[in-house]
Amino acid sequence: MSKIEDVKAKVEIGKSKLVPGLVQEALDEGNKPEDILQAMVDSMSVVGEKFSAGEIFVPEMLIAAKAMSKGVDVLRPLLAGDGASSLGTCVIGTVAGDLHDIGKNLVAMMIESAGFTVVDLGVDVPADKFVAAIKENENVTLVACSGLLTTTMPALKEAVATIKASGLNVKVIVGGAPVTPEYAAEIGADAYAPDAGSAAVKAKEIVA
Amino acid sequence: MLTKRQNLMETIKGGKPDRFVKQYEYMNFIMEAPMGAMVGPGQTIVNDWGITFTWPEGQLGGFPVHDDEHKVLKDITEWRKFVKAPSAIYPEERWAAAIEHANSIDRNEEFVTCFVAPGIFEMTHHLMSMEDALMALYEEPEDMHDLIDYLVEYELAYAKQIVDHLHPDCIFHHDDWGSQRSSFVSPEMFEEFFLPAYKKIYGFYKANGVELIVHHSDSYAANLVPFMIEMGIDIWQGVMTTNNVPELIKKYGGQISFMGDIDSGVVDFPGWTPEIIFEKTKEACESCGKLYFIPGASHGLNFGCFPGVYESNDEAIDKMSKEMF
Repeated sequence: MSKIEDVKAKVEIGKSKLVPGLVQEALDEGNKPEDILQAMVDSMSVVGEKFSAGEIFVPEMLIAAKAMSKGVDVLRPLLAGDGASSLGTCVIGTVAGDLHDIGKNLVAMMIESAGFTVVDLGVDVPADKFVAAIKENENVTLVACSGLLTTTMPALKEAVATIKASGLNVKVIVGGAPVTPEYAAEIGADAYAPDAGSAAVKAKEIVA
Repeated sequence: MLTKRQNLMETIKGGKPDRFVKQYEYMNFIMEAPMGAMVGPGQTIVNDWGITFTWPEGQLGGFPVHDDEHKVLKDITEWRKFVKAPSAIYPEERWAAAIEHANSIDRNEEFVTCFVAPGIFEMTHHLMSMEDALMALYEEPEDMHDLIDYLVEYELAYAKQIVDHLHPDCIFHHDDWGSQRSSFVSPEMFEEFFLPAYKKIYGFYKANGVELIVHHSDSYAANLVPFMIEMGIDIWQGVMTTNNVPELIKKYGGQISFMGDIDSGVVDFPGWTPEIIFEKTKEACESCGKLYFIPGASHGLNFGCFPGVYESNDEAIDKMSKEMF
């Protein structure tokens, strides 16, 4: 197994203590930082697919993301510019009135692993704060809004409407327990994802 | 006509119920029993474990606060330093109203029921955030085992107080083990960390006169049902439609019963109507059948979030009883 394949395999099983050393070894072997990064992004795609398929669970996804993050720390000084990806920046948050953060955090993690720069606004985010964040951050291509309560679905609708009405050129993806693909379409979102793994896949699709 | 209790027992034992069990009707909750502070609408509180909870006005529930300032446990390896269980012993006068309520219940009619929350899994993530708690299961398993043992000791101390004072027939115990699509942890991890904990807790109750263990997890958890059976759960309340409840009944009926199959999110929302509730109730009753199944919303207590929802659900179940029995 080549070092780069080893990095890929160890990220997938979340070996965060081993990955930084393996990334360094892969660099020492002459692999380009961009190729090593891509290998880790690919592993996280596999992790996302396995999560969506119910083959792995949240802890496995968390430790894989942590392992990738440790590997990226080694690569960051070597990557061009600030290491930001061509996929752009994703602004993410849970909508106003809603304090659920677990699902949103998982989506943020998977979207970051897919190659976006993530700006996490946290929970209870008013609609205009999403718009302000799009304006304040560079190259925002995507906004991800989460709503976990039937009572905050109107806030989700308002968030999407406010972002769209701003005229800013961004795609909007939504999700959360009570959200359905039909509801997402009805409120004007560009995409819906049922879980963190498929959110990363959809995110890449809609900004492509 | 069978009493509520008899009808429940016929349902879960595979006998001859004379109607559907109507949601929580068989449980008479002794909510006067002393327990730790719980957050109410519009409040922010710090509970007896030092966990800060906040409940935004107009929303449906409280949340633990896990920023750096508020997280009780920032490093699992230091749990002994930061996690301090409160006393499980309450002054006798705090039990008086609960004892009076329990004594007033006809136990042939209903189950004297104590409510216990949060559960062991929930406590781990309330103390340290979901992400940290789940990663710690991988990264520091020994400390997590020790922390869970410590939480179980507290639960058992409280369980002894409940049993001594109220002699409950039923325990309604919360611990959410999944999202609507999957369990939070794999079955293997659940078996290692949480099955032994609950075998001790539910085993204690069963050994001390509790006839019925009803466990609330409004989630997917079909992959955990064998463990639920092993730990002594009689009824899994909160089972969501994502679990394929008819299939679970076919597979496990007789060993455990299922209460729910009506997702609260689709019936208990601002725009609810009796028609929506009846449609979902009818679907649940017809697909799950009369045995090992109790129709009801997945919500974890005997009320709805919006006025009229719970009562409308009761009416829908009455209609289905007339149709199917």
